[in-house]
Amino acid sequence: MPVDVEKILRPTDTPLPPFPPKYMTLAGGEHLVVRQVGREEIPAILPYIEALMHVERDFYDIVAARVYAELLAYFRHRVQDEYVLVAQIDGEIAAVVNGRRVDENVGMSYHTLSLRRGLRVGAHAFATKMEYHMDILGQKEVLIVAESPIGFRRWMIEYNLEKRFHIPHELGGCPSWSLTRPLFEAARGSLVVGRRPVPQELLDKAMERILPPSDPPKPPADLLAATRSLYDATGTALMSQGWILEGRK
Amino acid sequence: MRKVYAVGLGITSFTRLEYPLSEIAAYAGMMAMRDAGLAAVDHVYVANMGAGRINHQTGLASAVVDSLSLTPAGAETIENGPASGASALKTGFLAVASGVYNVVMVIGAERMREANNLETTDFVATLTHPIAEYVYGVTLPSLAAMFTRLYMEKYGVTERHLAMVAVKNHDHALLNFFAHLHEKITLEGILDSPEASTNNPYVSEPLRFFDCCPVSDGGACVILASAEAARKLGKPMVRLAGVGQATDTHAVHEREDPTELAAVRLAAQQSFKMAGVQPADVSVAELHDAFTILEIVESEEVGFFPKGQGHLALERGETRLGGRLPINTSGGLKAKGHPVGATGVGQAHEIVLQLRGEAEKRQVANAKVGFTCNFGGFGNNVVCLTFIRED
Amino acid sequence: MDRNIYGYKCGACGHINYPYRMRCRKCGRTEYTDFELVPLPKRGKLLTHTRLHNPPADYLVPTLQLGIVELENGVRVMGQLHMSNPMAGMPVEAKVEVVRRTDYDSFYGMIFYPA
Repeated sequence: MPVDVEKILRPTDTPLPPFPPKYMTLAGGEHLVVRQVGREEIPAILPYIEALMHVERDFYDIVAARVYAELLAYFRHRVQDEYVLVAQIDGEIAAVVNGRRVDENVGMSYHTLSLRRGLRVGAHAFATKMEYHMDILGQKEVLIVAESPIGFRRWMIEYNLEKRFHIPHELGGCPSWSLTRPLFEAARGSLVVGRRPVPQELLDKAMERILPPSDPPKPPADLLAATRSLYDATGTALMSQGWILEGRK
Repeated sequence: MRKVYAVGLGITSFTRLEYPLSEIAAYAGMMAMRDAGLAAVDHVYVANMGAGRINHQTGLASAVVDSLSLTPAGAETIENGPASGASALKTGFLAVASGVYNVVMVIGAERMREANNLETTDFVATLTHPIAEYVYGVTLPSLAAMFTRLYMEKYGVTERHLAMVAVKNHDHALLNFFAHLHEKITLEGILDSPEASTNNPYVSEPLRFFDCCPVSDGGACVILASAEAARKLGKPMVRLAGVGQATDTHAVHEREDPTELAAVRLAAQQSFKMAGVQPADVSVAELHDAFTILEIVESEEVGFFPKGQGHLALERGETRLGGRLPINTSGGLKAKGHPVGATGVGQAHEIVLQLRGEAEKRQVANAKVGFTCNFGGFGNNVVCLTFIRED
Repeated sequence: MDRNIYGYKCGACGHINYPYRMRCRKCGRTEYTDFELVPLPKRGKLLTHTRLHNPPADYLVPTLQLGIVELENGVRVMGQLHMSNPMAGMPVEAKVEVVRRTDYDSFYGMIFYPA
């Protein structure tokens, strides 16, 4: 009788209530639809994340690399109780947020990755994640870390998160901060945004397919040029990057 | 005093540039030399605010004059906070008008994004008074916000009017290849919809995210020349006809009337007087809208609209492209970008382009008289320039 | 210890300059040592205010409340505010406390409370 190793390796997921999709109007008047995606849609998203692994500024490279790993783990049943929410503008992917249910009271926020610059999409996406943990899963706190100083200022400082430094965050070693229920309630006005239900045509467009981002953060033409000239004493890398950007050969 | 003409224009994109600062400056200068058809100039002025602190390069003008192979021409860096650009143009004007030089290159350049956002905010905050303002954690947006609140209470300007300025300038910038932000925004998205407070959060109440200009890198260049040199080059005769400058108290709380920008008024009056024109003669203007409230208030203080009625003219669409007096056709600082040292020269670049008839989709019909207002610090050092097309 | 913020009273015309300047703004007298230090009053009227949501890096708080106050003697100052509902025209009273901390230094200034 063949031994089913997969049964041993695969964690058992707790049944989680689904995230009811919601929509927001963005600064330019377009609509952002945020919905949960299941495992079957992950392979469509992975290439868009992969491209960001090579953008060396604003911590895109490390966040994209970690999100890629987390989405792959979700797809391949190697992480327990993970959820993935996707934000789309006219079907185009604009942000990915994910996290995990640790137990009935504690949630673990993983990442917020924005694939569309400007427009504050990241802020909307982060808010929906907190709403999922607090209002839909009914948890008491969410553990959060930040890779970038912008994230630190936007979340830890702005929402007055509590320190939970004795709890290592699953992202690896960094000290955790916590959004507790009282903090969430105090900030509900700015943390719970968007409307439900999503108008049918918007939802249909979003569910039809996840389209590639039209204006994602791009890597510089030459990886070396992205570093400061400290590392390239002749400054040649910077000039050649400029020439490539201008279309010169 | 001789007449002074703008004979060459050059500009880079105002955006995040990965080039060294001296290259950003030199590129704009080279483009201007190409435009004018010049192989040499008599003198170079470079306007810049942050080279020493942010880009680790002092004596910027000396670096730029060599990068452009214009040595042994003399060169100076001019720093006047955000009004560095217009100050450099004013200095170039004096140099040619006096008869000492015939052809002077004026470049404005800044590379703010070499440092992170917290560093650039602090850098701009150093414009404030160190003991009476800086220690309290005052930043430029907070000064603009307190001023805005007073203006709202006195004249009935609302957040909607501020948002209208942003929407208008973003629309203009969509037609400007070199602008920083090519982003359409709508009143619905930034003010009316339920999610507007996330799209457009407060930076310093009552000013919101879309009321404040972005942090940009960029360079611009205008070459000034005597009438004789200008005629030889065969470019359209656009004259820098009037310059004006005025200062006010350093600490904002010491202003005589906290709802007035007295320095703007005085500088504009001087500039118009020297040029021999009235505010009503102006066809197109670039006003310093680092914060949207400033476009409204400056349009009143320089004399385009009566005091306290600038926002009404905005409502009527008078300051939009196609209106009676288009303001900030380039997108203004809000959407075109604000590389601090380059801004004053960028404004002049746009006005000269308009007066030459070369502004393409942004062209104001029959533009004859153009005006710029470059606002330093928070209203304590203002330089205004008036340009007239003469042929 | 009750600290004060000082104005600079001109020996010739009596005008109180705040902040310090080299020549009196009112009479322009050029005697270098002609200013007398006078403690500024701590009561006044709030002229305008703002809540700054992007405070400088030194401040690890989400927002900072700032305002301009006209003191009893007519001198105006900038200050931080500690009040839940600031309104232009309301009477305020200051304590001189730490308003900014850098890595090694503390800076004192006026913090206004409702009077």
